[in-house]
Amino acid sequence: MNRFLAVALTVVALLVPARAWAQNAATMLEQGVRAYTVGEYDGGAWLLRRALAVEGADALSNAGIARALLYLTATEVARNQRDSALAAARRLILLDPRYRPDQTFPQPVLAVYQEARRTAPSVSIRASGDTSIRPGAETFVVRLGSSTSPDVTANVTNGDGRVVRTLFSGTLRDSVDLRWNGLDGSGKVPAPGRYMIQVTPRGGNGAAANWTLRLPLELMQPSVDTTPLPPAPPDSLFRPEHGNSNAAVRALVPGLVAGAAIVVLPKIVSSSDDASGARLIVGGAVTIAGIAAFFSHHPGQRIPANEEYNRNLRETWQRSSQEIARRNADRMRQSRMIIRPGAPTLVTSSETP
Amino acid sequence: MRSLVAAAIGLVLLTGVARAQDDHRLRFTVTGLAGQQLVQSTADDVTSKLSGSVIGFEGVMVGNPFMVRLRYGEGRINPKPESNVEARDVVSGEAMFGMRALPWLSLWVGPSARAYTVGESDQRWLVWWGRATARGALIPGRLQTFVELGGVFSGNVGNPAIKAGGRMASGGLEMRFGAMSSFWGRLGYGIESLHADGLRETVESLTLSVIYGLPQ
Repeated sequence: MNRFLAVALTVVALLVPARAWAQNAATMLEQGVRAYTVGEYDGGAWLLRRALAVEGADALSNAGIARALLYLTATEVARNQRDSALAAARRLILLDPRYRPDQTFPQPVLAVYQEARRTAPSVSIRASGDTSIRPGAETFVVRLGSSTSPDVTANVTNGDGRVVRTLFSGTLRDSVDLRWNGLDGSGKVPAPGRYMIQVTPRGGNGAAANWTLRLPLELMQPSVDTTPLPPAPPDSLFRPEHGNSNAAVRALVPGLVAGAAIVVLPKIVSSSDDASGARLIVGGAVTIAGIAAFFSHHPGQRIPANEEYNRNLRETWQRSSQEIARRNADRMRQSRMIIRPGAPTLVTSSETP
Repeated sequence: MRSLVAAAIGLVLLTGVARAQDDHRLRFTVTGLAGQQLVQSTADDVTSKLSGSVIGFEGVMVGNPFMVRLRYGEGRINPKPESNVEARDVVSGEAMFGMRALPWLSLWVGPSARAYTVGESDQRWLVWWGRATARGALIPGRLQTFVELGGVFSGNVGNPAIKAGGRMASGGLEMRFGAMSSFWGRLGYGIESLHADGLRETVESLTLSVIYGLPQ
C-alpha cells in the first residue's frame, strides 16, 4: 500500500503542472501530513517542502507554515536525516520562538526540537509584505523579537556583504521595531538589487552565541526620468591662455594692412585732390594697434581676457552640471522604492563555513 | 527742424534695439558719431576748400548673412577766412543692404544722398553704391580694424540732373571700452569723391564714434 502511494505521488508530481501545485499549498500540506501518518516519509517530505515553497497569495499562513515545519521535522527524523530535521526545527523556532510541539509526536522528534531550541538563539525577525516607501521620508519596518535579551547588531548589507546602514546596536529586550528610511549611511539612495538585514550577536562568547539571522530584501525602484549631465566643453571652445606665434602674426597682419590701406586711400579714391593728414592719424593708430596686438599675443605672454573667458566657460559648465545633478538627486529622492522581504534564515556556527 | 527729425529717428532706433535684444537671430548696433569734415569742392576748374563739424548716427541690423545699415549726418562747413566762398549746411544719409560673403568680408549695395545748402540754393548728390568691407580682429573681442572700398554705379546731381560717378574708401579702428562692455569706440577716416560734368566734391572725414552693441 505504501509502495503504491509513493508511486502514485511521484506520478502526480511529474504530471501535474507546477502552477497547479502552487495553487494548493494547503492541500499539499494535508497530503504531506497524511503521507507522514501512513509512513510514506519520502513523499511526505517532498510534499511538505513544496507546500512551504509556495509564495504570494497562495502561500501558507504562519500557522500552516509552523505545522508544515513540525511535520517536516518529524518526517526527516523518521528518514534518519537528522541535520535536515534540525534545520526544519530551527526554521520553526525562528518563525515562532514560543511554539510548542504536540506531545503526541514520537520522543525522538521532540528531542530534536529541544536540541534545536537549545542551540538556536531565541531571536525572530518579521517583516510585513512588499512595502513602498519614499526614501528619506518614509520607513520600512521590521520587528525583531527575543525572549533572552541578547546584545545584537542589525545591519543592512549589500550583495557583497558590505554594511550599507546600521539599524540597531544594543540589547534586544522583548522586541524592537527596526526602521529603515531606504538610505545608506551617507544619505544616498542605494542602487536597486538584493540586500539583506543581518542580525548578529554583539561580542558573543561561546559557540552558542555564533549565529546570524538574515532577512533577504529585494530593492526595486521604478525608473525615474533624469536629465543627462552636460558634456564638458570641448577643447575647441577654449581660447589659448598664452600667446603663440601664429596668433601674433594673425593680429599683426590686419593692423599693418589696414594701416597702410588707410594711408594710401586718398590716392585710390581721388588722385587729383590734396589729402589731409587725418589719414595718417588713423592709419598710424591702426598700425600701432596691430603692433601692440602682436606683442600681446607673443609666445609666453599671458592673455588675461582668454583666461577669464575660459574660467567663465568652465564655471558655467560646472554650475550647470551641479544644478542638473541636484535636480536628478531630488527626483530620485522623490521617487518611491519598493522593498520586498524574503523568508528569514538562521545560520549557526555549525552551518557557517 | 532737421535736428529734431534726426533725434526722433535716433530715438526710434534705440527703442528698436532695446526691444530686439532678446531676439538672438538678429543683432543691432547703434552708433553716435561726431567728426570733422574737409571738403574740396571743384566747379569749372575752380577749387574751394571748406571744413566743419558733422554729427550723426548710424544703426546696423546684423542678421545671418544679411545686414542693413542706415547712416545720417548733418553739420555746417565753412570756407577759409580769406576765401570768398559761402559756408554750406550739409546733410547726408545712406541706406545700405549688405551680405556677409566671408567671415571677414561684407558686400553692400544701396543709395546715399548728400545735400549742400548755400543760401537759398541746394545741390543734391544722389548715388548708388557698391561697397566691400573687410574686417580683422587684432585682439578678438577687444580690438578690431576695418577697411571699406566702394564705387558708384549710378548717380546724378543737380536739377536738371547730371549723371554722376565716384569712389569712396574708409578705414579705422574699433576698441571695446571694457572686457564685457557693450560699448565700443571707433576712430575712423573716410574719403569720398563724387564727380559730374564740371563738378567734383571730395569729402574727407575724421570721426569719433561710440557704438552700442557688437560691431559687425
